[in-house]
Amino acid sequence: MKKGIALLLSLALCLGALAGCAPARSQPSAGPAGSPSQPADDSKGPVAVTIWHDGDEGIMQTIADQVNAQLADDQITVVFEKKTDMPNQLKLYGSDAANAPDMYFYAHDVLGTFTAMDILAPLSDVVDLSILSDHLSMTVEAGQIGGVQYLLPVYFETLVFLYNKALWEGDIPGTTEELYDYMAAHTDTAAGTYAVVNQHTNAYNVSPFINGFGGYVIDESGKPGLNDPKTIEAAAYNQKFGALQADGDYNTVTTLFNEGKAAAIIGGPWLVSGIEAAGIDYGIASLSDIKLPNGNGLAPFSGIQGAGVLKVALAEKKDAIAKVLTAMASPEVGVDLANKSGCAPANNKSYDDPQVAGNEMIAVIQKTASTARPMPNIPEMNAMWSPAEAMLTAINKNGADPAQAAADAQAAAEQAIADMQ
Amino acid sequence: MKQKSRWKPWLYCVPALLLILIVIAFPIAYTGWISLTNMNLYHWTDYGFIGLDNYARALFKLDSGFLSALGTTLVWTVLNMAIQIGLGFFIALGLNAPGLRLKRVYKTLLMVPWAVPAYISILLWRVGMFNTEFGILNKLLSALGFAKVDFLAGNGIAFLSCMALNLWMALPFMISTIDGALQSVDGSLYESATLDGAGFWVRTRSITIPAIRPIIAPAAVMTTFITFKQFDIIYLLTQQRGYMTGATLNTVITYAHQNAFASNNYGLSSAVSMLLFVVIILFSILTNRSLRED
Repeated sequence: MKKGIALLLSLALCLGALAGCAPARSQPSAGPAGSPSQPADDSKGPVAVTIWHDGDEGIMQTIADQVNAQLADDQITVVFEKKTDMPNQLKLYGSDAANAPDMYFYAHDVLGTFTAMDILAPLSDVVDLSILSDHLSMTVEAGQIGGVQYLLPVYFETLVFLYNKALWEGDIPGTTEELYDYMAAHTDTAAGTYAVVNQHTNAYNVSPFINGFGGYVIDESGKPGLNDPKTIEAAAYNQKFGALQADGDYNTVTTLFNEGKAAAIIGGPWLVSGIEAAGIDYGIASLSDIKLPNGNGLAPFSGIQGAGVLKVALAEKKDAIAKVLTAMASPEVGVDLANKSGCAPANNKSYDDPQVAGNEMIAVIQKTASTARPMPNIPEMNAMWSPAEAMLTAINKNGADPAQAAADAQAAAEQAIADMQ
Repeated sequence: MKQKSRWKPWLYCVPALLLILIVIAFPIAYTGWISLTNMNLYHWTDYGFIGLDNYARALFKLDSGFLSALGTTLVWTVLNMAIQIGLGFFIALGLNAPGLRLKRVYKTLLMVPWAVPAYISILLWRVGMFNTEFGILNKLLSALGFAKVDFLAGNGIAFLSCMALNLWMALPFMISTIDGALQSVDGSLYESATLDGAGFWVRTRSITIPAIRPIIAPAAVMTTFITFKQFDIIYLLTQQRGYMTGATLNTVITYAHQNAFASNNYGLSSAVSMLLFVVIILFSILTNRSLRED
């Protein structure tokens, strides 16, 4: 009898262990607590459109509130779900109909990776592209791969010069040499007080120098440019600034600024909420107003944040997604984002709003956009961040010869790109 | 009848075997299969069988950089294990000293580093201990009038910093294992030895170590493997994107990650993983053989 029970239990355990292997039913994913359930056919009732992101929850909530208000009559709800390291999660689940989201919201530089994986639907398969007719051309082009529009641009961001008005003395310098002189005179590394801090080993944060010198991280054909003479010149020039900018990692530099130990920081609008929470009276200046020795203004990368559509979502929610995209492209979303989160809208019509037009951060971002370069969005860009950072780290932290560090980083980048194939 | 009883024990074990199959054997077999395909960014869903091509490429990666990483890994493993066992042994002996008060409190406190998730411990040490601006070590150095030190910048100092953290995280396990082993030693042996005039070192060498060796050997072997395939401490302290420190320190696993896993080429990464798997299995066989010879 006991043996029989034991065998039965063994069998039950086996079945239990294998229960998870059951094929997924085409049941819709659960919406948020209290949200309506989703029918298989979006034409028959309430529909929830899931959007994965890895950004600021407040920004996503602003978008969700505006889009949901616009689509209330259509019974369509967008649900933003934050996923840590979202691009890698999408690599795993992007082609899995049971687990993939319907859309994603992220910067444009990962677009090439996702299109190479063939998990995204061209926006023209879902919606009439005339919804982008009022958008800034720079933002629209950044959302294209091979001339095909995959990303709906919603807002864009770039690096600006943020300074603590209580600590900064005089005007913001007009040249990088004047800036360096100011830094040298107002930095005491032993005491832990700094004039300007920057993530000086991060290619995104050093891009104002690299682009300003005429160098590049990677070109449109996928050729790395870390050993380009102009890139090396920029990295070598940035070295003396790095020596006066503390450790250079994100947490260190933002804490130094927020604690009043650094008078200025090179960063983006994403820092503003922390700065305001720290009670700092801050000013903003455009990097394009600070000229390099060659006469060019500092030219940071710009990132275009927007939404893409997963191919696997079209079978059941194409109409709902089309309406979400249309609502997201509206000027009202841009106005809300600008007023609540300081984001620069991609829709030109949003700037007709007087409050948006008078927003200092947005005005500076718009001005910087004149010299800013959209980050490359080809798949190979994904393999460039680590070699570029290794190069800048070697130069700025270990005093490596810029040419040698660039040659090593170029070889590593070429190998990484070759390994992608 | 005999036939039936021979199969019954296996039937009882089926759930456990099934679990092992799903959790351990299947991922290895699946990685083996992926390593024979061209699964990468450009063939995410439509990948196909390409034979041993990935292995040829992976072996090409076992270059001078890999050999240097292997050397670092061996030094890392030997030093960490020697200190862990040595220090763990003496701390455990101290915790078992007759008349020691509050020994349960000490033992509980010593378990704390082990209980904290590794990721959190590493980030706490990176910012709270080693950071040049906010780390306790640099605050102390500044208070004593010394210049700031970047504990993670150079290879030598980064190695020692990583090792300090690894010891902090790993020692509790070794201490608790040795502590448990010490409890099992028959106290009368010490009494006899003391009556025969044996001192502390003689008792330790002739009674304690031989008695606890069979008990701590499996824990030591297990910890050796964990130390050998160390990834998170070195990666998160010195190599994480956005937080690179300038150290070019690599173990075999961080080297493989740097060279294969960052490329989204799952076929190639799997081939590197399988080769590392073989290296670790060989290492395991050698270690087990040496234990048996002991």
